[in-house]
Amino acid sequence: MKNLKLAMRETEQRTIINISNVAVGRDFTVIAGPCSVENEEQMFESARAVKSAGADMLRGGAFKPRTSPYAFQGLGLNGLKLLSQAGKETGLPIVTEVIDPRDVSWVAEFADVLQIGTRNMQNYSLLKEVGQAGRPVLLKRGMYSTLEEWLNCAEYILSEGNPNVILCERGIRTFETYTRNTLDLSAVPAIKELTHLPIIIDPTHSTGRVSLIGPMSLAAVAAGADGLIVEVHYNPAEALCDADQALTPAIFADIMQRLRPLRSFMDKLPNSSK
Amino acid sequence: MLDVRPARNALKQGQDKYSNLIDNSFEEIKMKPDEISKKMDKIDRELLVLLQERMGLALRSKKFQEAAGAAQREEDLLARMERMNLDLVKRSFSRQLLKTIIEESKRLQDEDRRLVAFQGEHGAYGDVAARRLVPAGAYIPCLEFADVFRGVEDGYLDLGVVPVENSLEGAVTQVNDLLTTTNLNVFGEVKVDVNHCLLATEATDYREIRVVYSHPQALAQCRDFLRRNKLEPRPYYDTAGAAKMLARENPKAAAAIASTLCAELYDLDIIKEGIEDAPSNSTRFLLLSREPYSGEGEKTSIIFAVAHEAGQLYGVLRLFADAKINLTRISSMPLRSDPGNYSFFLDFEGSEKDSKVAEVLDKMEAMTISLKNLGSYPADSGNS
Repeated sequence: MKNLKLAMRETEQRTIINISNVAVGRDFTVIAGPCSVENEEQMFESARAVKSAGADMLRGGAFKPRTSPYAFQGLGLNGLKLLSQAGKETGLPIVTEVIDPRDVSWVAEFADVLQIGTRNMQNYSLLKEVGQAGRPVLLKRGMYSTLEEWLNCAEYILSEGNPNVILCERGIRTFETYTRNTLDLSAVPAIKELTHLPIIIDPTHSTGRVSLIGPMSLAAVAAGADGLIVEVHYNPAEALCDADQALTPAIFADIMQRLRPLRSFMDKLPNSSK
Repeated sequence: MLDVRPARNALKQGQDKYSNLIDNSFEEIKMKPDEISKKMDKIDRELLVLLQERMGLALRSKKFQEAAGAAQREEDLLARMERMNLDLVKRSFSRQLLKTIIEESKRLQDEDRRLVAFQGEHGAYGDVAARRLVPAGAYIPCLEFADVFRGVEDGYLDLGVVPVENSLEGAVTQVNDLLTTTNLNVFGEVKVDVNHCLLATEATDYREIRVVYSHPQALAQCRDFLRRNKLEPRPYYDTAGAAKMLARENPKAAAAIASTLCAELYDLDIIKEGIEDAPSNSTRFLLLSREPYSGEGEKTSIIFAVAHEAGQLYGVLRLFADAKINLTRISSMPLRSDPGNYSFFLDFEGSEKDSKVAEVLDKMEAMTISLKNLGSYPADSGNS
């Protein structure tokens, strides 16, 4: 860990990232929206649904890193425009993934937060590019990566002069097959111990099962995470990608109703004496 | 003043490329069906653009053309076109096509559209303003502001639309200068929000864009955007001219900064809208006419000069203050005829038909060296 000059925690002070009126690292931040931007109706309906359920930011993919080259690759620039219009209408800042260094400045023109996906965590030229883009970066943990490897990737972004990195634990590969990945919740307190950067949880990709998303979201709150990123589709049955793990607006609203009180309860607990 | 000739010549050469369809290289012969249909689409668009130009000419010719002799001229034209030996375009077909076009021109001429002149190419902000001020007009592009004034003054065109001031750049001096000598009246005004867009042809991958063509002022207003995306600015004589050049020549790795109207007119993709660095940048345009506005009007524009003595300007302005008339614009410009002395441009609320305004104007006569009343006109409410 000795090479982590910028990511390591030296004092009690934690990084707080202000994105329009959301303070990531201080408030519990919920980022929600469809896996990918499919069309105007789907994007706007999903955006309105997550807004009314109380989400703080809107997600949606315009460039999709898909396992198969024949799977839906995303709408590209047109997807970005739809996402940004939906964000403007609902007043939600937008988070979207960038997969190609050539796209970075263009995605930064439309998005409030640039997401680096799990498959690109160690794509160093991409990390350097987002380090210079002047937008906060949501850095997902590589599915085969150690915490140290992950933090070194954050260091790449920080060292380019971008102090606004949000870490995201999205599950790692284990021998378990019932869940899509294994959610490493211990990463939350570990990261808080090691760095000053905010960390959020992705309960969607880590479990891959709708029924597990609610309980793991609550567990993330209890573990001290700074927020969630979760997939919500206005009509999951017709989603073009990851249809079986997207929440309906109703289930999402239900989770949100339990999440906020739990966070308030956690805030009221006496501080541990460590 | 920019020298526009090189750019114009470049444009001309671009147009000539399209008459060059016979010269098929092997690359073109082995085109795939989708490439062929794309090329056909492009030709169809070109045909429509040319038709648009032709209809504009027909409307202008109507002003001076006598009905007598028109039928003979039409028959001559059809006969001449038939002598062109085009093996794929049958004579009967070309005759029928031209007849349809001529009929449509006549129909347009009968519609009695007003000819509205603006400076720049189609799609320029002047065109945007003209469409807002005169919804069902025929919009005629002019090379320079002076051409707009002359065209309307001499009766070749019905109305003119010119920019007087920009919220960031200030007065448009050439236009203000022309206003001091014109005998035209102000007939209306409109504020157009400058909404710069990055435009490119459908065939251009936005990630490959390296150079951006536009008017130097538009490039300057988007400096930050260009820097962020590592784009090289290339000055062009006009924003809309840059968009037109892009559509016709499709240079590699190039984009243009122009209005959304240009995207529609030249069938370009909008990569991003509102790319100007500072928001709330608007230009105020005046509508000029030979006849004064017949209604009341809510706003009045005047130009005056006073003797170079202490208190002269103050004396004039006090008339407005005492009469409680709100001024909406005041600017000064050196007199071309007498450098060292100034013309003052004053816009205020109220109509020259109001007694209190008439009284002030009356008193001003005695206090000024020159006083020119451009007229009263409806104010732009700002919504639309």
